[in-house]
Amino acid sequence: MVTEDKKKELLERLKNAVIQYDEDTAKEAAKEVLDVGMNANDAIFNGLVSGMEEVGRLFEAQEYFVPELLMCADALYAGLDILKPHVQQLDLGVKGSVVIGTVEGDVHDIGKNIVKMMFDVAGFTVYDLGRDVPLDKFVEEQLKTDSDLVCLSAMMTTTMVGMKKVIDDLRAKNPNVKIMIGGAPVSQDIAEKWGADGYAKDANNALKDAINMISSLKKLKEEAEARKSR
Amino acid sequence: MIKIISARDRVMKLFGGEEIDRPPCFSGMGNVTAEGLKELGYKFASIHLDARKMADSSATTYKLFGFECGVVPFDLCVEAEALGCEINVYAHLEDILYPTIKKKIIHTEDEMDIAIPSGLQHRGRIPLVCEAIRLLKKDIGGEVPVGTYVLGPFTLAGQIMELNDLLKLSFKKPDKVGRLLDALADAVILVAGEYEKAGVDYITVREMGATSDVLSPRVFKGLILPYLKKIFEKISVPSVLHICGKTNDIVPFMAESGARAISVDQKNDVAESRKKLGKEARIFGNYDPYNVLVAGRPELVRETVRKCVNDGVSAVWPGCDIWPTVPPENFKAMMEEIRKDGR
Repeated sequence: MVTEDKKKELLERLKNAVIQYDEDTAKEAAKEVLDVGMNANDAIFNGLVSGMEEVGRLFEAQEYFVPELLMCADALYAGLDILKPHVQQLDLGVKGSVVIGTVEGDVHDIGKNIVKMMFDVAGFTVYDLGRDVPLDKFVEEQLKTDSDLVCLSAMMTTTMVGMKKVIDDLRAKNPNVKIMIGGAPVSQDIAEKWGADGYAKDANNALKDAINMISSLKKLKEEAEARKSR
Repeated sequence: MIKIISARDRVMKLFGGEEIDRPPCFSGMGNVTAEGLKELGYKFASIHLDARKMADSSATTYKLFGFECGVVPFDLCVEAEALGCEINVYAHLEDILYPTIKKKIIHTEDEMDIAIPSGLQHRGRIPLVCEAIRLLKKDIGGEVPVGTYVLGPFTLAGQIMELNDLLKLSFKKPDKVGRLLDALADAVILVAGEYEKAGVDYITVREMGATSDVLSPRVFKGLILPYLKKIFEKISVPSVLHICGKTNDIVPFMAESGARAISVDQKNDVAESRKKLGKEARIFGNYDPYNVLVAGRPELVRETVRKCVNDGVSAVWPGCDIWPTVPPENFKAMMEEIRKDGR
């Protein structure tokens, strides 16, 4: 049985490995978590993710910039890849699936990848369409996978407008799907105007918002089913 | 009494440090409009590949709305293409999508020591852009200034290799990135020199990849600025350095680059930048090209002109390319409002 002290030490190492973008330490600590029989779920959320939360704060405070963020993400994935196969049940209260991609005409995918990482750690099933994705592809993939959520990203004003078309098409085909948009030129105002359910200011915000959306969606579904069975 | 004989005269005097009657309203970035394309019957995808269409499309923005410049090209792939990248112009689509890079030339860290191809200035669409500059000069060059742009070395590096890798390497291996930027600065100097020969009045260097939304001011100063300086030293026509996003922390470095003017977007607090740089500095900006010019009501369009001028811009200048679907009444309102300032 792993001692509380050892547990604390490993969580601290995972957390710091992410903050200090140290992939090797993240891997070593993750392996040790498994060796000593510590709970992988605990290691992900109280180690890796809590490191990423600190990174988010450093980013907001402009101590970290995008290069640091990318390197921290690499360290997180280094640990996550080892721990994930050993996770029995991720417990965030809600699980869901998401279609994510950068809209056609836009080849910038860094923001999208950071958001994707948050869904990955939260145990969502992620269908990543990549970048420069033809607009129809989002609708097609959502229908095919019956995903709860579609996330659209655009880095440039020039491509952002394509998102409106995807939103309209998705709504026409599946009124219940939740849609979230994000990217440098996007604002709350635009999200509301175009009828998106959520607007991702950043990755943290994207995940919180996504969980809320899916919870409300699941609740609606349950209510509908309860009515049917009555 | 200040005598201004044309919009071109005003802009050139501004660059030369002479007194002018009012700030000009112009741009150093893409300025094509859907209205102009409709008038000409051109498809968006076609205007990047034909000098005549490129020049004509650009000229309509002056002819229809009185915008005080003509600028070619419209996309950001010209230099990368000349260096050997493949581009996608989305010819199969009716929508307005700007060309992007389909195939990059650097795939791994080991491939970063590139040699600039000989005769770079004759490769890809550079001769086409030169021809468009000549045509545009002939058409409207007597009335308005004709400009063009090149990418800054860091932004160009992000076109020819994965941005993800470039960003991480600029942290892990700055020497290696520095060598690449040095080579790309040479490439940019060659291209800019060719545009000068074609007769362009001013050149904007777009280094938006190095914005403080992405890179720390420290990295900007240490890694990017030296190569921007190298470029501006070699540009002989008036030059502008454009960086979008959060730029308040780096405007002093931008001003140090050797550019004749700096260009910022709506995320810059221009009143503060003006305070920092003093009244002599030429600051172009920071008109919001989408949320105001496209999506705003004409009242907001006018108010924003006022705000830019009151905050202290030297020229009212959109923070990015004109978004083509700009409503004609908004464009006209912007130009009307700036003309009120004429003395």
